[in-house]
Amino acid sequence: MRNPWTRTGNYKTSYAQDTTIFATYSEQASLAVFLIGMLVLPRFLVRGDMQILDLILIYALAVLGLNIITGYAGLINIGHAAFMGVGAYTAALVAPHLPFWAVLPVSGLVAAAAGAVVGIPALRIKHLYLAIATLAFQLIFEWAVGHSPALEQGGAMAMPRGMVFFGYKIAFKNHHYFWYYVSFTVLVLMAFGFRNLLRTRFGRSLVAVRDNDRAADAMGMDPGKTKVFAFALGAFYAGVAGALYAYWSRAVVIEDYSLMISIKFLAMAIVGGLGTLVGSFLGPAFLELLDINMETFSYAIKEIYNPPGVDVGSAIRPLAFGLAIVLFLIFEPRGLANWWRLLRSYFRNWPFKY
Amino acid sequence: MKNKWTLWALAAVLVMGFATAEKVHIMWSGAITGPTSDAGKYYAQGIEDYCSWVNDTGYVSGIEFVCETRDDQYNNANTLRNFEEAVDRGDPVFLGYSTGGTLQLKPLVQEVGLPFIPASYHIGNIDPPDNDYIFLPIASYSEQVIAVLEYIAKVSPGAKVALAIHPSPFGRAPVKDAKKAAGELGIEIVEVQEMAKGLDYTATLKRFEKKGVQYIVYQNVAGPVANMIKDAGRLGLKIKHAGAHYAGGPDLLRLAGDAAEGFLWVTAYYMPHEQGAGAKFVKDLGAKYGRPADAIESVHYPSGMLAAAIAIEAIKEAKNAGKKINAENVYQALLKMNWQNKLAVGPVTYSKKDHVGVDKLRVLEARGGTFVPVTEPFSSALFRKVHYGE
Repeated sequence: MRNPWTRTGNYKTSYAQDTTIFATYSEQASLAVFLIGMLVLPRFLVRGDMQILDLILIYALAVLGLNIITGYAGLINIGHAAFMGVGAYTAALVAPHLPFWAVLPVSGLVAAAAGAVVGIPALRIKHLYLAIATLAFQLIFEWAVGHSPALEQGGAMAMPRGMVFFGYKIAFKNHHYFWYYVSFTVLVLMAFGFRNLLRTRFGRSLVAVRDNDRAADAMGMDPGKTKVFAFALGAFYAGVAGALYAYWSRAVVIEDYSLMISIKFLAMAIVGGLGTLVGSFLGPAFLELLDINMETFSYAIKEIYNPPGVDVGSAIRPLAFGLAIVLFLIFEPRGLANWWRLLRSYFRNWPFKY
Repeated sequence: MKNKWTLWALAAVLVMGFATAEKVHIMWSGAITGPTSDAGKYYAQGIEDYCSWVNDTGYVSGIEFVCETRDDQYNNANTLRNFEEAVDRGDPVFLGYSTGGTLQLKPLVQEVGLPFIPASYHIGNIDPPDNDYIFLPIASYSEQVIAVLEYIAKVSPGAKVALAIHPSPFGRAPVKDAKKAAGELGIEIVEVQEMAKGLDYTATLKRFEKKGVQYIVYQNVAGPVANMIKDAGRLGLKIKHAGAHYAGGPDLLRLAGDAAEGFLWVTAYYMPHEQGAGAKFVKDLGAKYGRPADAIESVHYPSGMLAAAIAIEAIKEAKNAGKKINAENVYQALLKMNWQNKLAVGPVTYSKKDHVGVDKLRVLEARGGTFVPVTEPFSSALFRKVHYGE
């Protein structure tokens, strides 16, 4: 009889078993342990660490959205930060009138509408041409915000302060703890949605259209609708991330949703592993922690070697970012998710090897 | 023998003095790499060197300053992280940098009550709401642009002016006030053109020429300004150029060369080549701490020094008043500040209602490869009227 706690072979006998999320009880148990670990983690971290953790969670949510558009549907998107920005500015406008738990979906829906509009060119163009169309959206977004007095022309739009949630007052000391739990809850829910996406007809259409849209068309799928829907869904994720970022940073400023951030999201998706769930978490975590560690390292370098006129220490930080992307593209194009897969494979049959 | 004991006693006092010196942290978060780092790196060096000088000379007895210059790469998330670290550590004052970062931090600065001295002179930093704890070292971009418009109106009554601004809150900051001031001054702003990192401005300049523009006033950084004035020179246009603090200075001369000749620049800082105690102080400090000529010549170097100096002066005042060095006491000291400094053309004065340090500005003109003052220090006559309706 098969041991339900381990996988020592392939016992799948039906399509339902083949699409199951958890193959063994140990997978369910490890996820439960991980979730509990994440819930108690703030007890062991100081406020500054929580701030970084929050940022990683919010970026992970945005990268999940990018992975729907670029990873699953294969549509290159260089305007993802703009979708996040649409969500953030929506949040800034509606937050004085709605509770935060209502602001998040509203921001996502407005961003999804923007995503659907941006997706329309995908009906006729693809590859690099579509990438340019998304770049155009990024620039239009920045221009539109910069010329809208209602949006402070890109200056700061403050988010509401002194929020109270079930008697719990959110202020400076607990700000990042509160938004950690909100971001984590939202991320878990939306990650489950992402994970289940490929088990749906729409999710399979995304991959089919990515691999060969003509073949997908011939098999009865609608490539146009699929692409537009991919943009809308991906933008929804980004919009919710934007609203969370607005609350987390306490104000909405255009610079947080610039082209540089869009490129950063692409880098996170690539380093994490395009089209993978776990890569959407690993990419942002890796690049954010790399940056912080390189910052510390650069100060240490400055202490040891700081010749006048050549700022070696400061140069190391951007260099590390660029180098990480290039090295991943050359040596591990499947990203950190592949390392995770190999690690899991190693332990899957442990201690009994094939 | 007696001398020997005296020396030992002196050494012991010195050692005790260092051992008991209170360590006070001052953090700056700005762009040493990334966008605008051409200004940020020299600004950071100004802060570092002023701090080193204060420590080396014992300018504030009983306090050893630990000045940290953090590279936030012009990324607001990094600025926020650095600021919160300073709050958690209990720093008494924080030195900021970018417009976006400062505007974003405004509500938090107000919430935690930590005095904040930015490198951005955006008027929105000190306009309500949430404006109690932010202090500009010198007059705002809006006041700078109005001051240069006043000068233009004086030398060319009825002039036609175009504003060439950076496509960001930094660039757009003075536009509204400048338009109002132009109306009062009888000059005409015929166009407001946003300009980023363009390599060729022929079309824009030809359009300006067609509209009869006599002056282009820049609220931008030196790079794009240099490109535009070089293009204007290449096209043989008779248009004159002028700009606010970050648009001009020795950096512009280095980038634009001869094309910068005649550029009118408004700032509150003394230039290193000028005679006077301030210029000498900047040069001496740069030489003492091994800074290259580009750093010493740059206006961002004394700008960083002034920001650090204001913070240190407020801490010194709090210390002299026998108060604990914390954010609230430094804030109270800032509100009473009236300090005759050597770095800028006027004293640094603050009050509850006035959060602009140096109120005076000068217009300088590029002549023969240096900026030469063409006015005495003055305050804009119109700024308060157009901005505050006073």
